[in-house]
Amino acid sequence: MTHSDHYIRVTGLDVSYDGFTPAVTDLNMDVAEGEFVAVLGPSGCGKSTLLHAISGVVPPQSGTIEIAGRPVGSGRGDGSVPIGYVLQEHRLLPWRTVAQNIAIVLRAAGVPDDEVDLRIDRYLNMLHISKFRDTWPLRLSGGQRQRVSIARALAVEPAVVLMDEPFSTLDEVTARVMRQQLAELWEESSQTIVFVTHSIREALFLAGRIFILTQGPARVFDTIEVPVSRPRRYEDPRLTELEAQIVEHVMDEWGYGATAGEDAQR
Amino acid sequence: MTRSPETTQNLRARLRASWLDLALGALGASFPIFLWWIGSHTTTFVPPIGDVLREIPGFVTGEDIWPDVLVTIERVAGSLAIALVLGFAAAYVMHRGGLWGRVADRYVGLMLGIPSTLAALLALYVFKRSEIGVYFVVSIITFPFVALTLLQGLRSADRRLDEMGDVYRLSTPQRLRHLAVPHLVPYTFAAIRNEYAHAWKVVVLAELFAVNSGMGARFARAFDRFRIVDAMLWLVIFMIILLGTEYLLLLPSERRVLRWRRSGMEGLR
Amino acid sequence: MTTEQVAPLRQITGGRLQRVQAFAVASLLALAVWQLATLISGGWVPSLWRIMTALGEDATTANIYAEMWITLRRIFITFAAATAIGIGLGVAMGLNRRVMAFFRPIVVMGLAVPDVVYIIVAILVLGTEESSGLIAMVLALIPFVINIVVGGVGARDPGLDEMSAVYRLRRVRYLVDVVGWQVSPALIVATRTCFAFAWKLIVLVEALSQPRGIGAQIYYSFRLLRPDHMIARALLFIVILRLVEAIIFAPVEKKFLGWMQ
Ligand SMILES: Nc1ncnc2c1ncn2[C@@H]1O[C@H](COP(=O)(O)OP(=O)(O)OP(=O)(O)O)[C@@H](O)[C@H]1O
Ligand SMILES: [Mg+2]
Repeated sequence: MTHSDHYIRVTGLDVSYDGFTPAVTDLNMDVAEGEFVAVLGPSGCGKSTLLHAISGVVPPQSGTIEIAGRPVGSGRGDGSVPIGYVLQEHRLLPWRTVAQNIAIVLRAAGVPDDEVDLRIDRYLNMLHISKFRDTWPLRLSGGQRQRVSIARALAVEPAVVLMDEPFSTLDEVTARVMRQQLAELWEESSQTIVFVTHSIREALFLAGRIFILTQGPARVFDTIEVPVSRPRRYEDPRLTELEAQIVEHVMDEWGYGATAGEDAQR
Repeated sequence: MTRSPETTQNLRARLRASWLDLALGALGASFPIFLWWIGSHTTTFVPPIGDVLREIPGFVTGEDIWPDVLVTIERVAGSLAIALVLGFAAAYVMHRGGLWGRVADRYVGLMLGIPSTLAALLALYVFKRSEIGVYFVVSIITFPFVALTLLQGLRSADRRLDEMGDVYRLSTPQRLRHLAVPHLVPYTFAAIRNEYAHAWKVVVLAELFAVNSGMGARFARAFDRFRIVDAMLWLVIFMIILLGTEYLLLLPSERRVLRWRRSGMEGLR
Repeated sequence: MTTEQVAPLRQITGGRLQRVQAFAVASLLALAVWQLATLISGGWVPSLWRIMTALGEDATTANIYAEMWITLRRIFITFAAATAIGIGLGVAMGLNRRVMAFFRPIVVMGLAVPDVVYIIVAILVLGTEESSGLIAMVLALIPFVINIVVGGVGARDPGLDEMSAVYRLRRVRYLVDVVGWQVSPALIVATRTCFAFAWKLIVLVEALSQPRGIGAQIYYSFRLLRPDHMIARALLFIVILRLVEAIIFAPVEKKFLGWMQ
């Protein structure tokens, strides 16, 4: 058995912040190498917590998380697989310029000095924020900061990218351009991406598989393969249909009556 | 919501961690005592701990110390109250800005730099050896710190909360009740807690220079007559009162008031 | 006393004219109150005129500058030692629970001990050498620095710690780029407070145990019942301190607080 089918392997994961209240219980998921998966779940169910655990920021209370066959460590510089993580808030260092913010993590990932600038330029360009290269983050808008955070995660060119609602602060047009670019980028690279979102449409557009979580504390409620070939169109009627099916499917599980469809969808 | 057995194990690990913290804390707390012990063995004039401990019951039950202790407590409380009022007024004026705001700012800046020794000596000239001198010294020295802490509160209050108040169109009394007061409470607490300890230290100094009563004067007298055991006893009483009020009164009430500030992540670090 | 933002808070607003105006009003008011005190105290509080004369006399004697230099040197030595030790320990305490658990009670007690006690004990143990007073001062100052630094480290954004863990920043990078910059306002406050307190303390140290220095001069004038000279000398030295602050602290502050706009 190669580990390429369970490149990221989460088994029996329990996470709790205070030792009593569970935020994630008994969650199992496998992600294959180079796969793009989305995670859907109601607000507060534990999606960010799951990504925190995968990135090693929060230790599991029990259960295991392995990436490429090795357990995830939370230490610095312990030789585990490099991860890019677009956290739900941007988490930029306000006292460093945009370029410096990216450079710091690139150096930590061992990118050689002469390549650092090239990468910074490439990814800032890709996210259409190269003119803010030497600006301090506090002078950017929320969406611009978010894009810097995305550029930072991608610039590391990590094997695994975790994204926590990266496009939710952008206007719809920008978000569409970004989604399109992300899809293309993923096809070119061999990165494994775990993408948390509230938008079912976004999940369907981007992901090969979708994990649907239960109300908190999170477990995997269902896994859905997206049977639409790439490249996909955002307005594809097949996606619309699937979206309606999923809403129908999760309604009870997420604790909404038969009429409150709009809420669950957002 | 099944709780796996590991959960309890984890809990136990955390309990163990907090025991370790406690043990380390106890070790830290006994460090000064350890120093004292070394001192008493290597020098002649530091009295052995045992001697001082043995004297404590007699010292505490004796009639003779309480008038001085009480008078010092009274001075601390009184001048702290004055410092709070002055500090609040100064902070308010500084916050309002304008000419008087800048004038107040000048005074606070000047007062911050006045050594308590200088203030105590000056007070001797002005008030002779009267009670007012002590109150004057302590409140003059502590009030600028109160003013700055409260000013900080006032400044951060309107930046964030006034916008909120505008959005929801709160009336002035509503703003005071729901925004200004709750916001200032932590700052007032911080001011009281910090300046309480400061006031004790200044009061000792003022009593040493300016009056003949109170714990500071007694402490100095014991030292002058080279009655080190007595001096140590005064120091011990001083520390007990200061730390006792801090831990039994001020800290718990501050914790209660500020409990919303803590995040759930603390246990993991 | 650990007033967090002493430095940024006391930024005097308004243009130059307004500042001069405020200074004039503040001075006039203070002078008027002082003159009133002179009248009430029946001459015990020296009149403005007497203080001015004393100021003139003191400012023109070379001797006073030698005394000032002695005190300034002492302030710098204690200030440097206390900030270095205090910042080191404070950062260690803020980052490590164990270190915190051990040192916290010591710091709390250290804060509670009156300055007089440090000085007297130092004199008893080490004699009236200059060094004993300085050691006492350093010991008395360290807890303040620690207190402010720990507050700054504790108030750092946990989100940025998580970010550093995600990207596996190395220890040094983390300390400099993530913790260092967040703590820098607190560090500036800590150094400023430490400097101000060093001045306040040195007066006591010199009054109690030293024959030289500006504090000794102040106490000397006091005992000779010459309040005019006592105040004049304190004023002179305060002016010098203000200059030092303006020359050393202001540029450093500007450099480190730029990113806050
Ligand atoms: N730092 C924290 N300390 C304590 N509890 C936390 C912390 N962060 C999250 N939680 C709790 O864990 C649970 C899951 O939170 P999480 O942030 O993972 O939700 P989420 O699914 O990402 O929600 P959203 O979609 O709104 O971002 C919530 O009930 C929350 O209260
Ligand atoms: Mg989330």
